[in-house]
Amino acid sequence: MSHTHPPGNGGADQGHAAPMVEEITDFEVLEIAVRELAIEHGLFTAEDHRRFTEWTESIGPAAGSRLVAKAWTDPAFKARVMEDAVKACKEIGVDWAEPTGFGTPSDYMNLRVLEDTPTLHHVIVCTLCSCYPRPLLGMSPEWYRTTNYRRRLVRWPRQVLAEFGLILPPEVEVRIEDSNQKCRFMVLPVRPEGTENWTEEQLAEIVTRDCMIGVALPRLDRTADVHPVHKARRPVQSSTHSGEARHERKE
Amino acid sequence: MSAKSEVDSGRIELLEALRQAEKTWNVLAPRYGVTNPNPPWKTSLSAICDCLAASGALPTLDRRRAEDELAESVYSDVPVPERQLLALVHVMLSRSLLDESDLANRMRAVRTRLESA
Repeated sequence: MSHTHPPGNGGADQGHAAPMVEEITDFEVLEIAVRELAIEHGLFTAEDHRRFTEWTESIGPAAGSRLVAKAWTDPAFKARVMEDAVKACKEIGVDWAEPTGFGTPSDYMNLRVLEDTPTLHHVIVCTLCSCYPRPLLGMSPEWYRTTNYRRRLVRWPRQVLAEFGLILPPEVEVRIEDSNQKCRFMVLPVRPEGTENWTEEQLAEIVTRDCMIGVALPRLDRTADVHPVHKARRPVQSSTHSGEARHERKE
Repeated sequence: MSAKSEVDSGRIELLEALRQAEKTWNVLAPRYGVTNPNPPWKTSLSAICDCLAASGALPTLDRRRAEDELAESVYSDVPVPERQLLALVHVMLSRSLLDESDLANRMRAVRTRLESA
């Protein structure tokens, strides 16, 4: 490898983030050592670990956003979601039985979707640990796992929501749903006004993770969870044949 | 709130050395200009937790209770996700799922292997 880094910047190229730190930390070594010993002791297999790792990296809040957008635009789908959410999830490509065939030990195959109304707002929490609908929302944010959020939300919900910037009028009832070992929850927010002619894809973009936890509301200008799309530097012209396009670039 | 996890909250020499090394991701990442918010072992750590729960060796609720207790005591000054890793190993050692000297030996072997590449 001829690639070298200038001294003093720790390996970061000018204007580009470095892919990874250039030292082996004891934490990295510890994780590998624990995993290897656990496998050798028969606590689990390398294949088990690979499968869970692959699954963990495949999940994210986009699936939940799609579910909400589809429920907003398709009343029949919404009825199926309220009837049997785990079953309805298959319609958006989420199988709660993954990755083992019977789910994960942390994601019990029982989901209830909590529908907000103009006068009722739901928020989810897990006071006991950190139960979270991972197949739909991905890994829980760190703050969701903190005792600060878990203990205070159930006691002072409006104060905690205000700390997220969400101040609800007094006429809106706030209902906290405590996840447990047997059931997962997610919030179906109220569809915002001004989105009447939007497509499902457009709607999904404004349904962020926090909206489905209940600490935020969908807003027409808020797409915090959506990764920016980087434009191709040399886009292929759709009106030309591929051979011609290659020829054009050579010139 | 939650019941006690019955985890031994005594200090573990091997993990104390790591805790005090100040090599956590929030320190190292800016030093190397890395913007990835998570270290390379974070997903693998999550998978270990899932695997241990799936096999019944360490149920999720037991682990999370212990993690809460240790986060407020022994590892209160360690950031996430290093705190999660230390707490997991602490619980595994407490429950004799791992042996401290075996782990220390394996860590030396792993480091030698990684540094030889």
